[in-house]
Amino acid sequence: MLTANRIFLIGALIALALGRVLPANSLQVTDSFLGRPGDSLLLLAVVFLGGLLWMTRQSRAPQASHHRQQVQVAEPERRLGQALLATHLILEQAIDDKLLEVVADTEASATSIIQEVRALYDSSHKLVAYLESSGLRGGMMENDISNCVAFLLDLGTFVHQLPDKMQRDMVSVQLVVKEITELSELVSSVQDIAMQSHLLAINAAIEGSHAGPAGAAFRVIATEMRTLASNSSEVARRINIGLARARNVVGNTMAKSLVESSEQLQTVSKAADSIVRLQENFEDMRQFHKIRFTVVSKYNEDLLQEISEVLGQIQYQDVVSQCIERIRSATAQRNGFFESAVQQWGQDDAELTQLPPQLLQILNNFVSEEEKHLHSARHAADAGSEQKIELF
Amino acid sequence: MAKTIMIVDDSTTMLMSLRNSLEIANFSVLSASDGLIALDKLNAGPKPDLIITDINMPNMNGIEFIGKARALPGYRFVPILVLTTESQQASRNEAKRLGATGWLVKPVGGADLIKVIKQVLPGA
Repeated sequence: MLTANRIFLIGALIALALGRVLPANSLQVTDSFLGRPGDSLLLLAVVFLGGLLWMTRQSRAPQASHHRQQVQVAEPERRLGQALLATHLILEQAIDDKLLEVVADTEASATSIIQEVRALYDSSHKLVAYLESSGLRGGMMENDISNCVAFLLDLGTFVHQLPDKMQRDMVSVQLVVKEITELSELVSSVQDIAMQSHLLAINAAIEGSHAGPAGAAFRVIATEMRTLASNSSEVARRINIGLARARNVVGNTMAKSLVESSEQLQTVSKAADSIVRLQENFEDMRQFHKIRFTVVSKYNEDLLQEISEVLGQIQYQDVVSQCIERIRSATAQRNGFFESAVQQWGQDDAELTQLPPQLLQILNNFVSEEEKHLHSARHAADAGSEQKIELF
Repeated sequence: MAKTIMIVDDSTTMLMSLRNSLEIANFSVLSASDGLIALDKLNAGPKPDLIITDINMPNMNGIEFIGKARALPGYRFVPILVLTTESQQASRNEAKRLGATGWLVKPVGGADLIKVIKQVLPGA
């Protein structure tokens, strides 16, 4: 019977040792159903220990006296206790490793979420900044357009006034034309005088011939007068042509200018109207942009609040990780207690009676520690705001 | 000019969460992972306008840090807020006795946190 006990004990120890010694990748092939490398060997160790426990009970049955039983089974019981404790501690270690892994995973996830949320905030902030700067640029463009419109309106006013101005100039020019016409009449008089002088000179020449040698000088003077009359007539004719040309030039140019200024007026008026419409459209666009900017800013503020709340809720990761840390601390105390209990097992019955109160003390410590954190985590919703936030 | 807030906590999540919440609210942020490092930073400068500290930290806990920070020249009236998972009245009283300005139990939403900061930090 003792040999069977030893077989079970050795089997359990070998299974445990293999679980700790073999590399994870070699265990992964055979341990797929329990998920974690080494768990099958752990299970095997538990099976061996169960067999050991059963064999121990079988061996205790035939014993007659209590004293004799204690002496004979103390050693196997202690070994059993130690084996159970060893298995328990390995299990605890596996759980503890997993808890640490979970805490590390949640911290990594929380960090990642915070980074993503911050990136979201940065993007929305850039969007608002872009809209703000485009609004400013739009404002500057609107000023440029306003200046341009003002210039064109001034130009339009000038062009509008141009016909009146030209009309006034036309009156002046007509006076000039009238003066020119009067001058032409004077030139006609000069031509008449020249003609009469010419006739007079011819008559003088005839009379000079009748006078014979005594009229020779008179004939020379008559010839000179005829030449002078002819020249005067020619000059008067040229002046008349020049005046007629001047009259035509002044009259035609003024008429043409009036037509051209009218066309220019229409063109400038159209341009000014277009620019005014452009300004009105641009103003509409600016108003639309302002409304859009206001709406986007409002949404951005809402987003900011949500981001802020998400960053607050992320703090639960710390709350939970501290809670796990307290559980790990209590578990470590409990494991220490178990180690101590196994050492005392079978040695001193009086000491064993102290074990339940000691375990209860660990429980009380844990509950007391948890009481300190009553309003964190899921208790927060039930707690009043004055308990969550208190200003001294 | 942006007000400066020092946050003291041993949790990476808390430091990142608070830093981002405060930066988004246009505060400048200094950080330390325990009371000892925070004290060194206070001595080295620059001086923060407000301090937010955890209680349970390695090397030097928040309660001890509050007492030592209050003893530093120029830190008598700097607001110190405690942000912790603990909520027991005894701990609150101890923090108050040592000069803490307020007590906040984690987790605290961003809006609530900024509201409290603006209450204790005029002009923020």
